[in-house]
Amino acid sequence: MALDFSIFVEYGPRLLIGFWLTIKIVIAAIILGMPWGLVLALGRRSRFLIPRLAATSFVEIFRNTPFIIQVFLFFYVLPFYGIRFPAEYVGTLALAAFGSAYFAEIIRGGIDAVSKGQLESARAIGMSDWQAMKNIVLPQTLSIILPPLTNQTLSLIKESAILSTITVNELTMSGIRVQGEIFRPFEVFIMVALLYWGFNESIAFLMRKIERKANKARTSNQNIAGKTTSISRGASR
Amino acid sequence: MKFDLSYTIDALPRLLEGATVTVQVALLGFLFSITLGTIIVLTRTTLNWRILNGIIAVYVSFIRGTPLMIQIFLVYYVLPVTGLNLGAFTSGILAITLNSAAFVSEILRGGLTSVPKGQFEAAKSLGVSGVALWGRVILPQTFIASIPPLVNEFTQVLKATALLSIITVVELLRVSQQIYSANYHPVEILSGAFVIYFLLCFFVSRGSVLLENHWRVRRA
Repeated sequence: MALDFSIFVEYGPRLLIGFWLTIKIVIAAIILGMPWGLVLALGRRSRFLIPRLAATSFVEIFRNTPFIIQVFLFFYVLPFYGIRFPAEYVGTLALAAFGSAYFAEIIRGGIDAVSKGQLESARAIGMSDWQAMKNIVLPQTLSIILPPLTNQTLSLIKESAILSTITVNELTMSGIRVQGEIFRPFEVFIMVALLYWGFNESIAFLMRKIERKANKARTSNQNIAGKTTSISRGASR
Repeated sequence: MKFDLSYTIDALPRLLEGATVTVQVALLGFLFSITLGTIIVLTRTTLNWRILNGIIAVYVSFIRGTPLMIQIFLVYYVLPVTGLNLGAFTSGILAITLNSAAFVSEILRGGLTSVPKGQFEAAKSLGVSGVALWGRVILPQTFIASIPPLVNEFTQVLKATALLSIITVVELLRVSQQIYSANYHPVEILSGAFVIYFLLCFFVSRGSVLLENHWRVRRA
């Protein structure tokens, strides 16, 4: 079979429109899922039983089931209780819930990685739990969790392909529709794959660069003096 | 509408049947992917050919950079065009294998770096080389060091099999779709499937600790 890549020109724009929706959905899911992930992470570390139990079950349930069935459940359960949204919103919500469970684990890992003395000394000089978390611990976790957060974002881009099963017209769905019209699966799906691949690899490349820069900055700061960095950090707030 | 548990209970036998297919597909796919992943790691470290390493790097990057769903479509729709007609079940396993092997090879590569260099040197100085060196000295240590990420990868495979429902492999999710398209109670049926998936993945991931302890005892 001869490959016909001229369809790139004809159907490329339609795929790009789908790709734009994929990006929008992922960004919305991150905006919703990241704060919720932080809430879950703090909930799991809470000293009260009920928030700890609730957060732990949420995280474990979403991490231990396939995303596709979560999507279906969101798609069928919300109307079951009389809540009707367009498929795009349902998909975004499902992606945010799924992502938040993973974000929570990453943030929790980052908090645990900051030495315990930091929290204890912050408490000792009279900060409240939340102040210590906000001003002392969380800023330090940022550089630790940046690489895994990037990875998780990339995996959300990939998982968003599953939203095509509930008729969200994102990149994969556009690909399926185009393929349904021209019956050239190889060209269409390779084109879709290349879009995902190129996008993911360029984000990964960019983030690696940023991380390298951040690491360099951190080590040179430490060379000057540990104390000055912490003071300048406080002053810059 | 009210959640009616009796639909879930009625569907349970068929759902469990679907779950056995899910486990079968996952086990087969994982077995193949461990084999392929090991081969990839071995060619990468022992042969170390430039061109081959380049091909492997592109393959791993492609698998990690594209959605599994697209990979499944590529295997399922593209192979028949080249004259190779595999059917849904086989192409599903093939897609899962190709996907998972990339991740397994990365896991094993990480596990390999945890094997001390002295192990290679000690084995060589004792005259152990080739198959014995890898099969008896290096690979066992690599695998034991990689147990936690490998178990994690297996749960990923278990979850990934749900995607095969799209290409009509009759596993747990496909069975539930068949049931609720007949009785129009998607919420009850999908909840049942959801709980089964959860129990499977949850206990597999907890099993990691058991496996680790088992091997640690054997080693001591």
